[in-house]
Amino acid sequence: MAVLSIIGAEIRANWRRMLGQGLLFALLFQVLMLVALMVRFQALPNYMTGYNWPANVLLIIRSTPSISDMAPIIREEWLLEIGRMNYDYGTGISEWSLNVIPSRLVILTALGALMTLCMALMRREGCSTSLSGTVRATTGVGAILVAMTNATMSWVVCCATPTWVVGLAMLGLGVSSSLALERIGPVMSLAGFALLVAMIFFLAWRRVRQRIDLKGAPFNA
Amino acid sequence: MRHFVRSAILATALVPLASTAFAEKIKIAIGHQSMCTDTYTAGIVIKELGLLEKHLPTDGKYADAEYDISWADYSSGGPITNQMLANKLNIGVMGDYPLIVNGAKFQETDSLRSLYVAGTGYNLKGSGNAIVVPVDSDIYSIDQLKGKDVSTPVGSAAWGTLLKAMQDNNIPTAEYALKNQSPAVGAANIAAGKIDAHSDFCPWSEIMEFRGTGRKIYDGSEAGVPYLHGVVVREDLATEYPEVVIAFLEAVIDAGAWIKEDPMRAVTEMEGWTGVEKEVLYLYFSQGGHLTLEPTIKDAWVDALKFDHGVLVKEKAIPPLDFDAWITEDYIKAAYSEMGMDYAADKATMVDPKEANAGLPMEIWHARDGVSSYPTMPEFLRAVAEMQGTGAKLNATYVYDSETGLKLFGKTAFWVRAGDDYATFLRKGEAEDYAAAHEGTVVTFDEAIADFVTEG
Repeated sequence: MAVLSIIGAEIRANWRRMLGQGLLFALLFQVLMLVALMVRFQALPNYMTGYNWPANVLLIIRSTPSISDMAPIIREEWLLEIGRMNYDYGTGISEWSLNVIPSRLVILTALGALMTLCMALMRREGCSTSLSGTVRATTGVGAILVAMTNATMSWVVCCATPTWVVGLAMLGLGVSSSLALERIGPVMSLAGFALLVAMIFFLAWRRVRQRIDLKGAPFNA
Repeated sequence: MRHFVRSAILATALVPLASTAFAEKIKIAIGHQSMCTDTYTAGIVIKELGLLEKHLPTDGKYADAEYDISWADYSSGGPITNQMLANKLNIGVMGDYPLIVNGAKFQETDSLRSLYVAGTGYNLKGSGNAIVVPVDSDIYSIDQLKGKDVSTPVGSAAWGTLLKAMQDNNIPTAEYALKNQSPAVGAANIAAGKIDAHSDFCPWSEIMEFRGTGRKIYDGSEAGVPYLHGVVVREDLATEYPEVVIAFLEAVIDAGAWIKEDPMRAVTEMEGWTGVEKEVLYLYFSQGGHLTLEPTIKDAWVDALKFDHGVLVKEKAIPPLDFDAWITEDYIKAAYSEMGMDYAADKATMVDPKEANAGLPMEIWHARDGVSSYPTMPEFLRAVAEMQGTGAKLNATYVYDSETGLKLFGKTAFWVRAGDDYATFLRKGEAEDYAAAHEGTVVTFDEAIADFVTEG
């Protein structure tokens, strides 16, 4: 209970910063993906398409009778597509692109917010250097798992749909192996979030312990 | 009284406004593929000739209907299914494997369904998909692909063909590196020799052959499974506006008739609409071409789709598909009936290129004079030699594979000279077998032409 109240107090004190840094993280991640695509393919994007996301979501809601069907369809709706089109054949084919997908932006914002919370708890606690390193590393692993599995780059060599495994394929992993890993994406993402949440609870628990220790210590020892 | 008159005038003025406000707006959003020849009769031809507008109902419950027609062009069938799920498209046209994925993905949901309502065209033996190697490659058969890099648009009909071909030749996935490449990238990589082989759907293999960058080593006809394309619609559109779906299928029939009426005019127009060379399109849409334009749903098609589903299940976890719930002939039968055509007769007809193309003449496409026909090989080769002798530009020449009856470019066929006779083949192995059996020699097209070049 004391752990939850510490986390609650920290969120109340930092919610603006958590939200702001979460959004900033989500946006910077989009920029990072675009830069990665340009560096990998040594080319600048030559097209950009905007999508009327709110209207498309409304259309899906209106035309999908089952609520359970809506979520997975809405989750894949795009807001913006920036990429490179090949016009050598026919009317043009997109070779690679960055797809800005609002559902992923929400996840990345949540990730950024959790990371901010972790850092805030760590700063207040004044961890020892070795513990601080461990906490940072664990937070980093959690963040990488979530961020990697929510990448929305698309490459014709890898299904031509925005999937997180494009990042792996771009790093040189075989397409078949990358595609085989695609199915475990949600599990990896959940594992990343679980790590971050566990770290937040651990830091809050340590704070509770510190308070108990302080109360029990003689004043002039 | 003055108040009454004013009200009457106001009411009269508002009537047209009210009817406009209550006019039903019917969205017809079609996803098609301008770079896939077998979809043209349910896509680009209907769009460009305005055939759908011609058939849409305008009476009865549709008297006040306002149609909002839109067309979206895709390079493969997969994205069309995603857009159909989101209801941004309600009609899609695609090849056999994407069709199955479409049906299965819809059936995976609780509340959404698609219906397979008609075909567009077929090749009974499966020609259309092919595996191509760079033109200078020393690979001539599929068993030479062990340990090589092979690319394909994953999820497409060509991907299914590649998997089937590898399975048939006992080449497990671990023994070759499968890369996912779109048609344009695969074609560019074949041209640059950056990939050992590329499997693609119609008409990409022929584009590569025509441009002189690629050579077929495997044709879909070797799998012996029919290659077909079809039309899927969202069930809610079909239930709410069945006449609209029927009108669309009438337009499909019209589009096929327009092509058959004058293939030369059709391919010339289609080149302008799609960017695909007319000489390549002629290989598909002319008499004896790869594609039989006919939209009925034959029992053999259902069997082929079930077989294709089995291939996908083996390679990738795709959802199950209830074919009985997915496939319906009701709409295409109604379209035939509306147009006074005999559905049963068309359904019972199967065009086998081996039989249908037997005895068809060879053709030369002269850049200025158009296409001319030649019933025998010597006449054909003599005409080519004479035309080349005058410096005339020949767009393309067409012959037939002795083994399968498939129409081929003369320049890409393997030629066998046996005495005074000549035969043409798609594959080198069969040409060599024929040469051995008939005391002949495998020669190039140029060598065959040279036999008819007269001095002076």
